[in-house]
Amino acid sequence: MPVAVFALIVYALIRRVNVYKAFVEGAAEALPRLLNILPYLAAMLAAIEIFRGSGALDAVVKLVGPALESVGLPAGTAPLILLRPFSGSASLALLKDILTEHGPDSPAGRTASVILGSTETVFYTVSVYFGSVGVTRTRHSIPAALISGIVGTAAGALLTSVF
Amino acid sequence: MAWVFGIMTAAGLLIFMINGDGSGALEALVKGCDGAVSLTVTLAGAYILWSGLMRIAEKAGLIEKLAKRMQKPLSFLMPGCGDAAAPVALNLAANFFGLGAAATPFGIEAMQRLDRGDGRASNNMVMFIALNSSAIELLPTGVIALRTACGSAAPYDIVLPTFLASIAAAAAAVLSCKLLERVFK
Repeated sequence: MPVAVFALIVYALIRRVNVYKAFVEGAAEALPRLLNILPYLAAMLAAIEIFRGSGALDAVVKLVGPALESVGLPAGTAPLILLRPFSGSASLALLKDILTEHGPDSPAGRTASVILGSTETVFYTVSVYFGSVGVTRTRHSIPAALISGIVGTAAGALLTSVF
Repeated sequence: MAWVFGIMTAAGLLIFMINGDGSGALEALVKGCDGAVSLTVTLAGAYILWSGLMRIAEKAGLIEKLAKRMQKPLSFLMPGCGDAAAPVALNLAANFFGLGAAATPFGIEAMQRLDRGDGRASNNMVMFIALNSSAIELLPTGVIALRTACGSAAPYDIVLPTFLASIAAAAAAVLSCKLLERVFK
C-alpha cells in the first residue's frame, strides 16, 4: 500500500498535478459527506441499541436459535448468526466468547470463525452508503444483502464440516 | 429500511415500557446516537486521507483510465455505471486485500457517482451494496488474529472455507439482485 501511494504521488508530480491543492480539495469534500451520513448512522444505531438493550434480540435468539441448531449448526453459533448483520464489534466480541468457551478448533469455533469472515455488517453498510447520497428508498437492498448473508452462513457451516 | 428501523425501535420501546423502564429506553436510544457520533469521528481521519489521495489520482487522470478499463468487466453486474466503475473497482480491491479503511471512502465515492439525486436506490447501487455485504477477502486477518490469541492449533484452517463461503454469498447477492430488481420498483 505505501508503494502504491508513493507511486501515485510521483506519477501525479510528473503529470504536473498540483498535488497539494488536489489533496486539500479532495479532503475538503470528506467532512460534509461524513456529516451527511451521521443522521443515517444515528437512526440505525439507535434502533439497534434499543432492540438489543430491551432484550428483544435475546428473545429472538431464544426463539430462532434452537431451530438453527436443529438444522445442523453447532450449538453456540446461533447468537452470532443473528447478531452479525447488526453490529461488527459485538459480533467480534461474541466470536471471542465462542472461541474461549468451545475452543478455536472445535466445530463451533471453526464454524463461527468462517461465518464471521464470510458475512458483513449489512445494516451498517446500507446506512453508511445510502446515507452518503441521502437515499431513503432502499428498495431490495436489505432483502438481497440478507439473502447473501444467509447463503454465506449456510455455505460457511457446510464447508467447515467438509474441510 | 423504514420497516427495519420502525419495527426494531417500536419492539424495543414496547418491551422497555412493559418492564416499566422508560428511562432505560431513552438511554439506549441516546447511546445509539452517541455511537454514531464516535464512529463518525473514528472514520473521519482515514476518510479525509483517502478522499485527498483519490482527488490526486483523479487530477492525474488515473481514475478516468481505470473507469474505462473496468466498465467492460463490470458491465454484467452494473450496466451503464459509467465513471463510477473506477471507485467500485477500487472498493472491491480494497476489501479483497483487507484494507477496510480505504474501502469505505472508495465505496462512498462510488455511491456519489451512481446517484441521480432522487432519493431512490438504483439497480446499480443495490448491486454494489449487495456485493459489499458478501465480504470477499483474501485473508480474514481479524478472525485469524483472534483465533491465534485464543490458542488455536491451526488458525489458518478457516481461510479456504471462508473464501469459498464468501464466493457463494456473492453469487447469491448477484442472483437475488437480478431477480428482485424487477419486483421492487
